[in-house]
Amino acid sequence: MSTAKCAAKFVTVLTLAGVAFAAGDARKDLHFKVGKHPAISINNPYGPVVVKAGAPHEVVINAILHSDKVEIDQSQSHNRIDIISHLLQGADQYSGVVEYQVLVPADASLSIHSENGPVHAENLHGDVALEGGNGAMEVLDCGDGHVHVKTLNGPVTISNVRNGHVEVVSMSGDVSLNSVSGPYVAVNSNTGKIEYAGDFGGEGEYSFTSYTGNIEAVAPAYASIDVTARSSQGRVDSDFSLEPKHTPFYAKAGSYFSGTLGKAASSVKLMSFSGKIHLKKRQ
Amino acid sequence: MTDARKQQGEKLTEAEAIERAKQGDAAAFKVLYDLHKRRVYSLCLRMTQNTASAEDLTQEAFLQLFRKIGTFRGESAFSTWLHRMSVNVVLMQLRKKNLPIVPIDDTLEGDEEGTVKKEPGAPDERLTGAIDRLRLQNAVDSLPPGYRTIFVLHDVEGYEHNEIAEMVGCSIGNSKSQLHKARLKLRELLKADRAEKARK
Amino acid sequence: MNCPEFERDLPECVEGVPSPEQQAHLNSCPTCSGLLLDLNSIASQAQMLSAADEPSAAVWNALEERLWSEGLIRSAPAYLPAEVKPSFMQRWRAAWLVPVAAALAVVAVVKLYHPANVGDKNPVATQSQPQAQAPAPAQSARLKHKPALSHEDQQWLSTVSSRPPAQLAKFRSDLDQANAFIEDAQQSLQEDPNDVYMQQMLMNAYEQKQMLYELVVDDSSH
Repeated sequence: MSTAKCAAKFVTVLTLAGVAFAAGDARKDLHFKVGKHPAISINNPYGPVVVKAGAPHEVVINAILHSDKVEIDQSQSHNRIDIISHLLQGADQYSGVVEYQVLVPADASLSIHSENGPVHAENLHGDVALEGGNGAMEVLDCGDGHVHVKTLNGPVTISNVRNGHVEVVSMSGDVSLNSVSGPYVAVNSNTGKIEYAGDFGGEGEYSFTSYTGNIEAVAPAYASIDVTARSSQGRVDSDFSLEPKHTPFYAKAGSYFSGTLGKAASSVKLMSFSGKIHLKKRQ
Repeated sequence: MTDARKQQGEKLTEAEAIERAKQGDAAAFKVLYDLHKRRVYSLCLRMTQNTASAEDLTQEAFLQLFRKIGTFRGESAFSTWLHRMSVNVVLMQLRKKNLPIVPIDDTLEGDEEGTVKKEPGAPDERLTGAIDRLRLQNAVDSLPPGYRTIFVLHDVEGYEHNEIAEMVGCSIGNSKSQLHKARLKLRELLKADRAEKARK
Repeated sequence: MNCPEFERDLPECVEGVPSPEQQAHLNSCPTCSGLLLDLNSIASQAQMLSAADEPSAAVWNALEERLWSEGLIRSAPAYLPAEVKPSFMQRWRAAWLVPVAAALAVVAVVKLYHPANVGDKNPVATQSQPQAQAPAPAQSARLKHKPALSHEDQQWLSTVSSRPPAQLAKFRSDLDQANAFIEDAQQSLQEDPNDVYMQQMLMNAYEQKQMLYELVVDDSSH
């Protein structure tokens, strides 16, 4: 590889990383050749993980290890790459931190497990599975694949995901969906808030359920939905005048509304045990 | 009818079910419920436009009926008694929610909801062909609440204007006027629906 | 008689028999005769809507319960089969809860005996979000009561007992929330087994608990 190319690559990596080296930090760069639809798995207890679409057929990992109490275990088996941040004796939430900047082919399947660090995935078209404890999870500009996010307490933001199959499960992390549409979009939250802003397009099935978390959906006047909202102990409100529909299903107790807008192309179910539900009209 | 015959699955007649229900027989209640549930529920649904409310009101109507079944002496048809009770339950609910039952003033001139709109010189086309039940249902659902109440009570459920006037608290003239406007409005809605269907 | 005059008298015409004057106008005016035919058709077809819909089975279930509780039902049906059809909850438990409970138990047992290989752990803090030392007050306040812990729950908690106290408290809080959801959904279903929305909610509640088991135990093993 020519010097110019190396320099360009280094500058690119630095630009993407945008991190400062502290004393004691160690950088590790990994590079893998892969075929079509590779599968990349990263397990990182502490530290951020940022994954973006890069060149086809290669995976580039730039990692900054905050101490010698953590090491990176890497393995490649054909088209599958596994990266694990291995905590050594005496590691804690500071010394065990590894910061990852990863470039993968756009059609890669991605699986990230991060106990505490934030995770960001961008511009991917393969399946994306994120699992986290407390860190923020972000998925941006992805589509066509499955997006699965599980979080205990960290907030989840999914933006501009089209034609996707999206499933989010959260205990107390707030979930925010912006311009998300596809054949299937489901959020299952315990106490976390669920916020949706989009057109419920794609003739899809949308299901937002919570135990006590409030649910707020903002849709445009031209939305084409068959919507049912029910909260056993909370209040439900709709800014829309819905066309009534006759359904064999009903809600025995609690607040409830059901009806259609436009041609009712998509099915929308908003359900909570005691959270408030509000279907808002976009201004 | 002996218990043995019943065990063979023979149904109770309504009169037998009423007598057994007075004794607290669970199956008798079920027989009466099954005989009349559709009519009661349909009425509630037409009037409230909401399946959850309609089911709650159906339950309430039957509950009130069964509480008083001991006093039923057969002076009128049981179904009439039940039905009147259902209407009262629904109207009470609408009143509670301050929803309009019947417009107070039926002498509004140029009331757009009721008058037949005709472009000058244009023919008023007929509503040709059979009326589809679902389309009629949708059209009724689209009526303003006041018109819908009178139309449902008179044309769907068969009450006379004097009965309607007593139930909803309006004059007989008001009831007739609202019914006429409701039918005119339905005609418009059904014609518009057909025209849209023909365009597609 | 002209058309406006006929329309003025139209209500009586629809409900009864047209007068000779009205009939003469009808004979000569296709517009008014068409209008009358349409209105008659609407009035007669309206009866299609009577008894057109059927309430769900839950209406009777709820009604029957009220009748029992008010003492209006005083005897079980004399001629219905003696054995009671299993309630939804009984069928649900048999059909669904066993595999769900088995799945949870398998996860718990597998992870329980997975060797831990991490050294001392101090109170956890995220890179950018320092964690509270105690369960979030808002969450605890929401819980009306703390559901009792099952044997599996206690075993699961014991697998993470080496975690820092603040983290353990958070796990316990999450577990209590998950159990509270399950308990509330189950209770609602006992009152109305045919409530399809609550059936979905219960499945969601179990999904949350399973996620909690998996994520926390996964973290313990690294």
